[in-house]
Amino acid sequence: MDLDFSPLLESWQYLLGGLGVTLLLSVLTAAGALVLGTALGLGRVYGPAWLRIPIVFYIDTQRAIPVLVILVWFYFAVSILTGISFHPFWAALMALTLHIAAYVAEIVRAGIESIRPGQVRAALALGMSRVQIVRKVVLPQALVRMLPAFGSILSITIKDTAIATVIAVPELMKRAETLAGQSYRPIEIFTVVMVIYFIILFPGTRLIDMLYKRVAHLGRS
Amino acid sequence: MSSPTPARKGADQPPVVVYDNVRKLYGDFVALDGVTVQVNKGEVMCLIGPSGSGKSTLLRCTNALETLSGGRVLIDGVPLPADERDARKVRQKMGMVFQNFELFPHKSALDNVAIGPVTVLGMSEATARERAMVLLEKVGLAAKAHNFPSGLSGGQQQRVAIARALAMEPEVMLFDEPTSALDPETIGEVLNVMKRLADEGMTMVVVTHEMSFARRVANWVVVFDHGKVVEQGPPEQIFDAPHAERTRDFLSHLGWNG
Amino acid sequence: MNLDWSIVWDHRSELLHGAMLTVLLTVLTMAVAVPAGIVLALMRLSNSKPLAFASQCFVEFFRNLPLILVVYWAFYVMPVFLHIEFSAFTTGLVALCLNVSAYNAETFRAGINSIRKGQTEAAMSVGMSRWQAMRTVVVPQAWRRVLPVLASTWVSLFKDTSLVSVIAVGELAHVALQIRSSSFRVLEMLTAMAVIYWLMGYPQAKLVDWVQKKFEVKE
Repeated sequence: MDLDFSPLLESWQYLLGGLGVTLLLSVLTAAGALVLGTALGLGRVYGPAWLRIPIVFYIDTQRAIPVLVILVWFYFAVSILTGISFHPFWAALMALTLHIAAYVAEIVRAGIESIRPGQVRAALALGMSRVQIVRKVVLPQALVRMLPAFGSILSITIKDTAIATVIAVPELMKRAETLAGQSYRPIEIFTVVMVIYFIILFPGTRLIDMLYKRVAHLGRS
Repeated sequence: MSSPTPARKGADQPPVVVYDNVRKLYGDFVALDGVTVQVNKGEVMCLIGPSGSGKSTLLRCTNALETLSGGRVLIDGVPLPADERDARKVRQKMGMVFQNFELFPHKSALDNVAIGPVTVLGMSEATARERAMVLLEKVGLAAKAHNFPSGLSGGQQQRVAIARALAMEPEVMLFDEPTSALDPETIGEVLNVMKRLADEGMTMVVVTHEMSFARRVANWVVVFDHGKVVEQGPPEQIFDAPHAERTRDFLSHLGWNG
Repeated sequence: MNLDWSIVWDHRSELLHGAMLTVLLTVLTMAVAVPAGIVLALMRLSNSKPLAFASQCFVEFFRNLPLILVVYWAFYVMPVFLHIEFSAFTTGLVALCLNVSAYNAETFRAGINSIRKGQTEAAMSVGMSRWQAMRTVVVPQAWRRVLPVLASTWVSLFKDTSLVSVIAVGELAHVALQIRSSSFRVLEMLTAMAVIYWLMGYPQAKLVDWVQKKFEVKE
């Protein structure tokens, strides 16, 4: 079996550009999903019924449909429906943010519900208002507990951006495919890209584990 | 002929808390079945009785953590408000100490004590912390001010919890089985703090299983059983010469022999 | 914008066939990935350092790669390294199995680890071997903690089968996208695809919620 890595040596900048797009898309998506997801999660736990029911339906729908389907639908169907054609990057950003926000919302909900009712009672006994209790007692502890799950959200986001290749977003996976097609060296190209993904994903989970160990005691009541 | 019963402590002033035929239901279960008791100013009242007899429920009704199914609770002559915002004001007058301490794990001991005044009374952080330090000294934990709850023993955590409640300068301190979750060695340090508070004249309502504490420190003891008050009176009566059969049963079950 | 939804009805048998293939892929993958996950977890927990290390490498490797990449990679690498021509279906299945086995390995490992050491010690103190203790005391308790996570992995897997469409496996996503290309009925087919997945996926998601409630472990 002869391996020829020369296409990689020639086009490493092309691939690196793809990596840049991957990282940019991931960071923007994760940030958006965290903000939207937290809002949805808080609405789910503390909101009135007319807010909670649609939010639950939205979250469950996102859990039921594959990312690939959401990406494709968003890119093609939305442009047909609205007449606006989005650049694939922005379509992917919107679709992924909306999808991952649902998972963030569930993490937020689980975190808040894991706080002992005794903590709320102790804060009430001091005379705090419900809003103050959520802000000063429940959320700080819940945030610590959510940390490992949030870490995995970033990891999941990066992995999901690879699916954006199906709508031709010029991220790493797409560029790998293009390069593999042009050079007829799929094994070398995909193997190297595998290593690249592994290098960006592996340290992330380790880092979050370490960080969590140090602050876990702040969330333990 | 026994000497005349001494006047009940604080009887010369209006009572701080009045429970007037208080009833509390959880679904079908009757937790409190018409409880009428009053708490005088400066009095240490101990609530004793078997588990599930309603003692803790009554305590939680006092600061509106539980709503009443019937009857009234009067604080300084005023019934507990139904409105949550007004209820909050009432809660500021009372301090509560929980069986599980319930310190906020994400704050240091000092900040746990300061959080009430800062959040609820709008005090500046610096002032609140100064006053918190004084309170921590009072409970003997000034050296641990910057420790987090995870670095404190159970007894230490409970003493911080007492300081936290005192920081709001309450009129009444409510204790819900404060030593039930503690090792025998650390129970003493918490009871000592409570005794000092009592000596200083704080009005206290204490739900407890520590009978020797109740015997020594309480001015008035109320015995509960199945949501009703079985007997109430000074500790000499309850522990040495109880009137009610149930009181005698309860005490003998605990192996109490004076 | 004129929509023609009859296109969906016309191709209903193909779509149904695609949906069945989706289910088949899910079932087959789990059938392989559950035992594989158990084996990997036991390897990781065993006393043999090389076995533990090998298992850890496998798990960390596949947990930290996008599945779509593994699908492509398997498609190109497998025929070359193993000198056999695999069908796209088999290739896709292999990629899914590798991926899900890694996640299951972590699930089982965490489940077994969550049972306090004292349980094993108590069992051994009455004379059981480590293996017997595992079988009669640890695994029965660990199952309660593992089941909810497996249920959620199942739903994720069900959705991930859509990724093998990129190597032309005839599951639901591929079929729907093919019909879209040939008929130019983009909105109708994409919506139909989303709706069919939703119809299959929503009950599964609710089932997962039920399983999690039922087997909830209150510390």
